[in-house]
This record gives sequence, C-alpha cells and structure tokens, in this order.
Amino acid sequence: MPAANKSTGKREVAKWYPSSQEDPEPKKVRKSIRPTKLRPSLKPGAVLIILAGRFRGKRVVYLKPLSGGVLLVTGPFKINGVPLRRVNARYVIATSTVVDLTDVNVDKFDDKYFAREKEAKKSKEEKLFKGDKVTKKPTPEVRKADQKEVDAALLKNIKNVRHLPDYIASSFSLSKGDRPHLMQF
Amino acid sequence: MSCEVKTSQWRLVEVGRIVLINDGPSKGKTAVIVEIIDHKRVLIDSPDASVPRQSFPLAHVSLTSIVLKSLPRGARTGVVAKFWEKEGIAEKWEKSALAKRIASSEKRWALNDFDRFKVMVLKKQRRYEVKKALAKTAKASA
Amino acid sequence: MGRLHEYQVIGRKLPSEAEPTPKLYRMRLFANNTVVAKSRFWYFLKKLRKVKKSAGEIVSLNEIHEKHPTKVKNFGIWIRYDSRSGTHNMYKEYREMSRAEAVDALYQDMAARHRARFRSIHVLKVTEIEKTADIRRPYIKQLLTKNLKFPLPHRVPRTKKVFAARRPSTF
Repeated sequence: MPAANKSTGKREVAKWYPSSQEDPEPKKVRKSIRPTKLRPSLKPGAVLIILAGRFRGKRVVYLKPLSGGVLLVTGPFKINGVPLRRVNARYVIATSTVVDLTDVNVDKFDDKYFAREKEAKKSKEEKLFKGDKVTKKPTPEVRKADQKEVDAALLKNIKNVRHLPDYIASSFSLSKGDRPHLMQF
Repeated sequence: MSCEVKTSQWRLVEVGRIVLINDGPSKGKTAVIVEIIDHKRVLIDSPDASVPRQSFPLAHVSLTSIVLKSLPRGARTGVVAKFWEKEGIAEKWEKSALAKRIASSEKRWALNDFDRFKVMVLKKQRRYEVKKALAKTAKASA
Repeated sequence: MGRLHEYQVIGRKLPSEAEPTPKLYRMRLFANNTVVAKSRFWYFLKKLRKVKKSAGEIVSLNEIHEKHPTKVKNFGIWIRYDSRSGTHNMYKEYREMSRAEAVDALYQDMAARHRARFRSIHVLKVTEIEKTADIRRPYIKQLLTKNLKFPLPHRVPRTKKVFAARRPSTF
C-alpha cells in the first residue's frame, strides 16, 4: 500500500515496523591505547633506507620519532634531495650507521607542522570541471628556511666522517646474487 | 717423443692429517686424524676441549693441506696436544689459504651497509688505477 | 653413540619351600633399553633352562660400559640367525670403538646383506681381537695395513635443501 499522500493530507505512515528491541548499546572498546614501541635499531641519528614511496632506495638520516610509529627524517635535502619528511617506521630499514646529531635542533617539528592545509570546499560544479587540474603549490618559504637550518647543522656532522656524504647520496638497491635476508645492515 | 705422466696430488686420509670439521657441534674447528676406523670414519682428536676425541664421518670433514707427519697411530689427547704445539699447527692453520678464505668470507658477511659502500668505493679506485696502468703500457708498446 | 647398550642381567626362579635358594643365572645382553634387556633375558633363559618369567624374578640389572670408549678395536662376533630358508651360524668381524657399537653395526649389516631383523638374530659371543694376525676377514685386514692412506676422490657435498641451483662439483 502506498504511503500517505501529502496532497491528500492524510497521516504519514512509517514504512517499517519499529524493531521490538531497544537500540543496542554500542560495543565498548576494551583495547587500551598504548604508545608505539619502535624497533631498538631505530635510534635517532641512524641512517635509514626508505623502502617505499617516491623516495624508495634513498638513504636518509632519522631525526626523531613522531606519534604513532612515524619517523621524522631528512635527506639531508642538500645531499640526496629528500626533504624533512615523515615516514612510516614499517617501510624503512634501519642501518647500524649512526650520524652525530649534536647541534641539530628538531624541537619545532611535530605532526602539526606537517599537517596539510585544508582546502576551501569547492562547489560541485567546480569539482566536476576543474577537479582534474593539479596546480603545483610552491614550497612555503618557512619550510625552506627550516630545511636549511637543520641541514646546515647536520651537514657539518656528516662531513666529518669519511665517505659518509657519498654513502648518503647513493641509493640502495639489490643486484644479482644479493641475499637481503642474510645481509647485515 | 716422450712425456712425463704425473699422478694428481690428492690429499690423503692418513694418520696425522689435519681436518676441518664441517658439521656438528664442533663445526668450523680443526682436528687431527688419530686413527682410521674404516673407509668412511676416522677417529679424530685435538688439544681443543670443544673438539673431544671421537669417531667422525669423513663425509663431514674437509682434508687440509697440513699433516702432522710423525704422529703415532692411536695417539692419545696429551700426545696430540704435544705434537700440535711442537709443529705449530695453530699458526700453520691460520696461515693456510683455506683458513684465510674462511676468515675473509666471514668478515664479508659481517659487513654492514656502510662498510659495503666503502668496499665498493675502494674497488672502484683499484679498478681505475689498474686501467690507468694498463692504458699506459698499451700506449708505450704501440 | 649407537642405539644399543650392553647389560648384565641376573635372574632366578622364585624361591619356594622345596628350593629356598634357586640357582642364579647371569647373562650379558645387547638391547636398546632395560625393558628390552629383561625381555631378552627371559626369552633366552626359557630356551636354555626350565625357568619362565611368571615363575621367576630379575635379581639385578646393570649396564656394562666400555672400558676404553675412545680406542679403536676389532671385534669378532659369532651369531646364529634364521634366514628365510633355515638357520645359520656366522662369524663376522667389525672395527668399532665399543662392543655395543660393534653389535649395532652387526645388526645393520645383517639387515642390509641378509634382510635379517633383530628378532631373527642371536648374538652368541663378542670378543675383542687383540692380535692383528688373528683377524680372519679380508675386509678388516685391509684396514690394518701399515701406513694406511687413501684419497677421497669423489666428494658429493650434501646440501640440506631439497633443491639446488647448481649441480654439485665432485672433484
């Protein structure tokens, strides 16, 4: 039977019977939120090999842990083009090489620093017709300055060790006969 | 026309032959053959307490080039230790090509990522020098 | 090493009014463990004397250890075994480090050459042959030549994996 018609002014009838039970209580989450525990090989200053993403194969310097198993790393940008960046600890090999981090100040970097700016909501029409076009945003000057500041201190320490700048500049790859499960890192 | 035919120089299973143990709890250690039990097993002994006197299958052993020539058959551990000391077997073993190769390969396996990079750089340098020298001689001879 | 041990088992008939101190019987046996040793004791005693397990007891059971377990010795072993067609006596020689190992080798050898099982073999006597001149079998004699030496010409490296990328090089 059709529902009541507005034009006829009849009473609206619910389409479904009400369920006999009360609304069930939402399940209580009994898991406690524990802080992430990183591998012991992940020491600040360690050289990491990035395994996935746009910078895969790059050797970068690990600066500090951020929240939720995310690591703050830098190339440094001057050496291998990797900026100050967040990477997931799972997609990284930690090597035993450790770079001296004295005079490197990374206090201001946290998740908020890297948060993406909210874009102004576009109307449906705009999305439809201009959505495909990707406009490259220029890197903010603040970021550039911060990168320079961190790199300057870090570079000094890296250059003290022989072959270390070249090592970080080179990227990691496997070739024929390499057995990564037997390698020491 | 005459030619000399030489038999090949096999390493022999004999009393006094130093062997490298390839399997079991004493893997990687050296011992000496004290007596031959049969064609597949020998009695080995060494001054090292971690390689006790025992019957050992030849299948799990490598014969080294070192032989304790004067070792009497069936010598006991004390006598073996004396001969071992007198002949300087430990030093001889250390100097042997096989021991060196094992040591170097172990070292190579233990290298970390940065060390491997450094080895690569040094190899590159060596290659460069060799090629340079070769080019020089080639030029001189041409 | 080796799976067999040598045991000394002493047993007797249960004492009764008629026979307050029954005769003790002693046997040297080769068995995997003490349970098998006791079983073998009754098995043999039943054949030899009118004593059975239900009317008897084990008085003592102890293992006999090799006196010099790190000395290579030659052993002569006399056995009696049932083949598929009859019963045979045999004399064999083994070069081992202990009596138990020699008997172990004997059982393996008999299984290999004659398909004879443990149950069809009776070890009659095991003796150490001290003099080289007393060795009778050529397969042991050849190991006693002075300054024995031989090469290992065909070495096959055994890998623990199922598949190998390359064929083995055997020279």
